[in-house]
Amino acid sequence: MAAYCCMNVKSFLLSLLLLFTPSSAVGRDEFTEELMIKPLSGGFVYSHFQFTTKWNASIHDSKTFTHFHLFPKSLGEVLKQYGVQELHLSQTQGLWRHKLWGYPVHDAPPGAELWVWFKPSVKDVNSAWTDLVNAVSGLFCSSLNFLDSKSTVIPRRNFQPLGVTSGPVPRYSVRYGSLPKEIVCTENLTPWKKLLPCDSKAGLSTLFNAFLFHDANYHSLGLHVRPVCADDSCTEEAIELTQSLSVVTDVISTSLIGSPNWQLKSLFGNHLASYCPLATRSLIMVDITSNKNDSLFKLTPEPTITHTVFRGQEEHSYATYDVRSMLQSGRAINVGLTYSNNQKLIEATPPPIHAHRFITGHGLEDGGVSCLISNTMPTNQTISYMDVLPWFTRVKFSSLQVTNNGVNVPYKTFYLPAKDRVRPHQLELTFTLWAKSVTKVHFTFTRAFLKWTEYPPDAHHGFHIGAASITANIPSSLEYTAPGQTSSQLSSIFTEKPSDDNPRFFLRIHTETLLVSLPTPDFSMPYNVICLTCTVVAIAFGSIHNLTTRRFIQLDPLKKKGLLSKLKALVAKLRGGQPETKPTSETQQGSVSDKKTEDLVDEEEEKS
Amino acid sequence: MHNNIFFKMAASYGYEKVNTGPANMLYFTITIAFLVVFQPKDVSSNQEKVEEFFKSDHTNNWAVLVDTSRFWFNYRHVANVLSIYRSVKRLGIPDSQIILMVADDMACNPRNPRPATVFNNANQHINVYGDDVEVDYRGYEVTVENFIRVLTGRLPPSTPRSKRLLSDERSNILVYMTGHGGDGFLKFQDAEEVSSVELADAFEQMWQKQRYHELFFMIDTCQAESMFQKFYSPNILAVASSRVGEDSLSHHVDPALGVYVIDRYTYYALEFLETVKPGSKQTMSRFLKVCPKDKCISTVSTRTDLFRRNTTDTLLTDFFGGVRNVELLTETISLKKKETNVKQETCSQDSCQKLDANKKKFTFPDQFPKIYF
Repeated sequence: MAAYCCMNVKSFLLSLLLLFTPSSAVGRDEFTEELMIKPLSGGFVYSHFQFTTKWNASIHDSKTFTHFHLFPKSLGEVLKQYGVQELHLSQTQGLWRHKLWGYPVHDAPPGAELWVWFKPSVKDVNSAWTDLVNAVSGLFCSSLNFLDSKSTVIPRRNFQPLGVTSGPVPRYSVRYGSLPKEIVCTENLTPWKKLLPCDSKAGLSTLFNAFLFHDANYHSLGLHVRPVCADDSCTEEAIELTQSLSVVTDVISTSLIGSPNWQLKSLFGNHLASYCPLATRSLIMVDITSNKNDSLFKLTPEPTITHTVFRGQEEHSYATYDVRSMLQSGRAINVGLTYSNNQKLIEATPPPIHAHRFITGHGLEDGGVSCLISNTMPTNQTISYMDVLPWFTRVKFSSLQVTNNGVNVPYKTFYLPAKDRVRPHQLELTFTLWAKSVTKVHFTFTRAFLKWTEYPPDAHHGFHIGAASITANIPSSLEYTAPGQTSSQLSSIFTEKPSDDNPRFFLRIHTETLLVSLPTPDFSMPYNVICLTCTVVAIAFGSIHNLTTRRFIQLDPLKKKGLLSKLKALVAKLRGGQPETKPTSETQQGSVSDKKTEDLVDEEEEKS
Repeated sequence: MHNNIFFKMAASYGYEKVNTGPANMLYFTITIAFLVVFQPKDVSSNQEKVEEFFKSDHTNNWAVLVDTSRFWFNYRHVANVLSIYRSVKRLGIPDSQIILMVADDMACNPRNPRPATVFNNANQHINVYGDDVEVDYRGYEVTVENFIRVLTGRLPPSTPRSKRLLSDERSNILVYMTGHGGDGFLKFQDAEEVSSVELADAFEQMWQKQRYHELFFMIDTCQAESMFQKFYSPNILAVASSRVGEDSLSHHVDPALGVYVIDRYTYYALEFLETVKPGSKQTMSRFLKVCPKDKCISTVSTRTDLFRRNTTDTLLTDFFGGVRNVELLTETISLKKKETNVKQETCSQDSCQKLDANKKKFTFPDQFPKIYF
């Protein structure tokens, strides 16, 4: 009964709340859903879902996060509680192959990566970070709470804020951490999609199919929050939340007949039959830049509109489908692509900058890290390289070399050595990649011993080292897919206004993660040692104790017999057997010694 | 006759309570008060009272489901825990009240030929992982320390709600554990173990902190019985897949996975639970007999002496289902949009322009600041 009363009171309060909510807050945010599909070389297809919520409110205003409309409340509360200005989270399974696939919209390293700018007003950034990673891990079912001081750094030159600021930002308000071994599975997708205004009930998110996503070659969930300009004058701030889901599907091997052709149904297991009513725009765009003169493939149905834009010197074409108008006029949408010749697919164009990082050396004592960074452009390019290594790979800074074809390249550096069990090694380098060449960054390290409790349960698997990141402002938009800095909406590419004649495109790519084996003890060794020691002690101690504590007395067997031997003799007699006849010398000896011990035992018993 | 039963039950209940300690004197007093106030006069009303008395008076349900085994060959333990997860979720406990601990990733394991799925059967009968799953503790987070902390509520302040057991003295809790165990212990991740004494103490701490009303403990491991033998806190009902000295066995192997899919006890428990619907009147006594020896090969053993109700009167959904008291209102509430006074700009055109000019402008910071490069 009491519960019912409460329900009544609650619903009454709720209605009151609804009555007095300022209506001005409603409708201040705008939600768009977009899907960009880019056919890649070798029959791969890159699908990038992006859900952007732009909320015309300031992230710095304490009253902002008191009333929510389309912006997810659970996330807003976390942002408010910990004074977050900007948050970038990615959870990825698989490696993005830049050389073959170009650049994704949001580049992400394998595993999880989180970097956050806190508001300048946050005094204790370290504790705010600790609390934030806990909150975020609870929000997304991930293990981000393992991002402690041992795996967190303060980037000094990289990871500048991507959103707007009203002035210089304090350098120590940023934190970066990555978990290269983090697993991404349905359990991460579930809470992530619940942040969407339409969940996965309507709109592009109805295409989410966990089974097909996790069967793909690459799968990445992203969440980015940053302040942006509310309008062109940029005197007011807005909060932009971008949720992205990227999948690279190997169409040829998943198709039963080995065909490179695809449709929405074959990629996601379903047609698109609805749009999110809360979205101001629902868009599917197919990147047809590689389809010069319609020679390679054909799209079905005909796109609503085809945009051709120049970004720098490069031309990009996008076939776009306006989901809302198409669904209002007809049946479910099933965008498909058919190659005119199944043998002639898109060829891979190496993007301007790509990198390959690997472990060198052998054995369990020393090792090295090499990173080969290629510049395919005909111009020099300055880049910034950041590498974070755990404390147990002790980097020898003196071994650091940046070379191009055997020639040393000058570099500027920031290096913060690790402290055992406190902080990781942090290496930030700035140098120039010469035109059409490969530059090699190399350094060596020694492997430290861990304490035996520090080993994880699967220590023999090895230890993961996070990806390095490369940041550059490149002049070419070849294979570049991300929109400009002002808006994260993919459709903003169509209306982009180049700031000058030589626009630059902001690029951040991640390299491979590394797996290092450390000298790992045999964990059953202590057990073996204990067993062995006990055995030795038991044997040695027993016999020595016997020898040292017992008194040995020579007794004449004929003179005096013990009670026990008398009894034995009696029993033998009763059994009717003849008492021992003349024994052989051996048995005689034996019987004598037996008697001796019996006597000894008697004596012992008596003593005690 | 009804009177007799009533007196017997009430008396034994009171006696037991007195024995368990002074903290439970209250129950004794209540029992006495109950006896005094409701002196049986009418048989039918008395019968109602008896039923009322033995009805569970919990107001919320929680579940703590733990898989303690890592590595691919322990696929079956993950399938075990997800089977129970699937059932409690289906029967109405929301994800926010389920603490799911899974020590390794089987669904998205590279060895899994069917990604994002965990099946309870080689014929892919039920995908127990589903497409709407929330795992709260996973991988290296599944440790004895975290498990005990979750039970006792001694967690760091920044721990998110989803990782906390926020139960109260009116909560019915289902605790399910699976993994590799022995006489008196259960291994966690092949690296550490929780002993039966530690577990019993953790439950006692929960009881003293009023963190549960009734607790159903279920364990599927070798020598599972040993894990509940040391329990001494009231209102605990326990079931284990095997006796001390017995092994708990797995059900069958999936040749496509190359490993055993599920353990016998949980397989039959899931088979039974699949027949239960949220409004079901199935009782715990039926559930406790779910896997006879010819099916399980091990002997399923139970412990009911700490539990104050009769298992034949206890509904299965008291532990596996969620309680939600929702009252539908019949009257209509009209929500009127309140007129809000939009603040009028009080400046003239000139002064407004001036104000705009004075406003600080936001800019995108340079990614390569000159001071560093």
